[in-house]
Amino acid sequence: MLELCDIYKTFNRGTVNEQALFTGFSFKANKGDFVSVVGSNGSGKTTMLNVISGSIPIDGGRVTLAGQDITNLPEYKRAAKIGRVFQDPSVGTIPGMTILENMSIAQNKGRPYNLGFAVSKKKYDGFRETVRELDLGLEDKMEIPVGLLSGGQRQAIALLMATMTPISFLILDEHTAALDPKTAEIIMRITDRIVKEKKLTAIMVTHNLRYAVAYGNRMLMLNHGNIVLEKNGDEKSATSVDELLSVFNSISIECGN
Amino acid sequence: MLFYGTTLYGIQTGLCFAVLALGLYISYSILDFPDLSVDGTFPLGGVIATILMLRLGLPPLAAVLLSFFAGVAAGLVTGYLHVRCRISKLLSGIIVMTAMLSVTLALTQLLTKNGYTTAIFSYRSENLKSLFSFASETSLGRGAKDYWIIAVLLVFVIFVKFAIDIFLKTKLGYMLRSTGDNERLVTSLGKDPGKYKILGISLANGLVAMSGALYSQFTLQYDNTSGSGKVVLALASVIIGIAVFSNIRFIKDTTAVIAGALIYSLCLNYLVLVDKNGIYLKLLNAAMFAIILIFNDRLSGLRGLRYKRKGAKRIKEGGSDA
Repeated sequence: MLELCDIYKTFNRGTVNEQALFTGFSFKANKGDFVSVVGSNGSGKTTMLNVISGSIPIDGGRVTLAGQDITNLPEYKRAAKIGRVFQDPSVGTIPGMTILENMSIAQNKGRPYNLGFAVSKKKYDGFRETVRELDLGLEDKMEIPVGLLSGGQRQAIALLMATMTPISFLILDEHTAALDPKTAEIIMRITDRIVKEKKLTAIMVTHNLRYAVAYGNRMLMLNHGNIVLEKNGDEKSATSVDELLSVFNSISIECGN
Repeated sequence: MLFYGTTLYGIQTGLCFAVLALGLYISYSILDFPDLSVDGTFPLGGVIATILMLRLGLPPLAAVLLSFFAGVAAGLVTGYLHVRCRISKLLSGIIVMTAMLSVTLALTQLLTKNGYTTAIFSYRSENLKSLFSFASETSLGRGAKDYWIIAVLLVFVIFVKFAIDIFLKTKLGYMLRSTGDNERLVTSLGKDPGKYKILGISLANGLVAMSGALYSQFTLQYDNTSGSGKVVLALASVIIGIAVFSNIRFIKDTTAVIAGALIYSLCLNYLVLVDKNGIYLKLLNAAMFAIILIFNDRLSGLRGLRYKRKGAKRIKEGGSDA
């Protein structure tokens, strides 16, 4: 489904701060996989996502998605097939527009943005129903600018928007990190439901080891641009948070942080 | 009587500049792009419209409408320099503004018979009819003509306002708004935000050029220096309009901007009453702009708080819009 093949990435090349992160990094996600990725700061989690989405250029290697080589496609072209939810809730929505307007514009993804009217009354009930399923009471706030909603509510809308149209791959970039524990829990449940309902292939970066253990069928731990731990399927279900934490700590001690 | 005349003149110029302000509303307020090329595209519209009428014999209205495309072309250059060549917003505007100084000067050569370049070309010297000339002109008094000009301008401005309002409700218009509000989301939707920036800047400059053409028709002359200070004028109009009227829910941004242009233009014209020789006009102009900016910053914050206020009202009303 998605394959990162022999990726090379060096930051600040040619300066004293030169840092080779990926040297021949490879990763493969199969259709229907829900991969959670953990690792300390600077381990390459977000860089990995940026390589997939095309937000940063790579020095070498190949990225393929659904059999198509997308290595040289710009970010916005890859986005046609990839949905992404960011850590910052304000990135995934347009703050000055209402929920209705946000959803209307997201639903048009993949089709031309021409001179047709953006919001149609016909879609209203459908959108309201989708929002009602979030169970956040947002169905009565359809005409309220998203900028006025709380971080969790915005993130829920962002999640809906990212998955509204058929996509091959979903990127969740620490999407619960900016939320309080209770809201994060709600967003994780919504995420899980959407991923299962739409049978999405997804990758989730998180700092919450419990989420990494509880959600998804695969788990990776990254350190210095290498996969240091990989658990799949049943093996993952058998992993406990304590076990993961002990690996995490041992790496941290080795690195001295 | 002098005050009355000044008021009428203020309204007339205000309406001419309203089109300019609507252009800046698109580039500055929607796209967050303070476009300095406006100082160059304003006279460009004037000279193009005048040439179209004088050399090709087009009717005034057609000349004004076609000048739009000249502005679009200049805007394309600004947009391309910023988006594709990665030159900063202000500098790409300055580059085009400077280039336009020569372009307009070269174009004025087409207006004079011997290729002699003048800074000012008078419509009267060539017996050119303007948008505001009408058949029985001589039989009507001065007063009637003033109101006729206001009526024609008002129709034109309202037409432009509704065109923008409708455009901003289309999918393309939404993408333009999204580009200004949250560029990364446009990327997420599989579109190149740069494309929408270029489009918006082009449309904005098209409107600016139309405003320049209207102004030429109104003053019955084309003046090569008419562009100077137009950015400040337009920005001030946009900011005043939105700061003053954004609290009133049923007033759209576009209407607020038109009102802002009228207020600013009237203020400028009243200043002329005080400063008769016009020496301190630009200084007062700048001071007024500074005061507006300081005031505006304290009161609202043009971009961020606007939707918050409107939204807060809706919440207070019980969110019953749904």
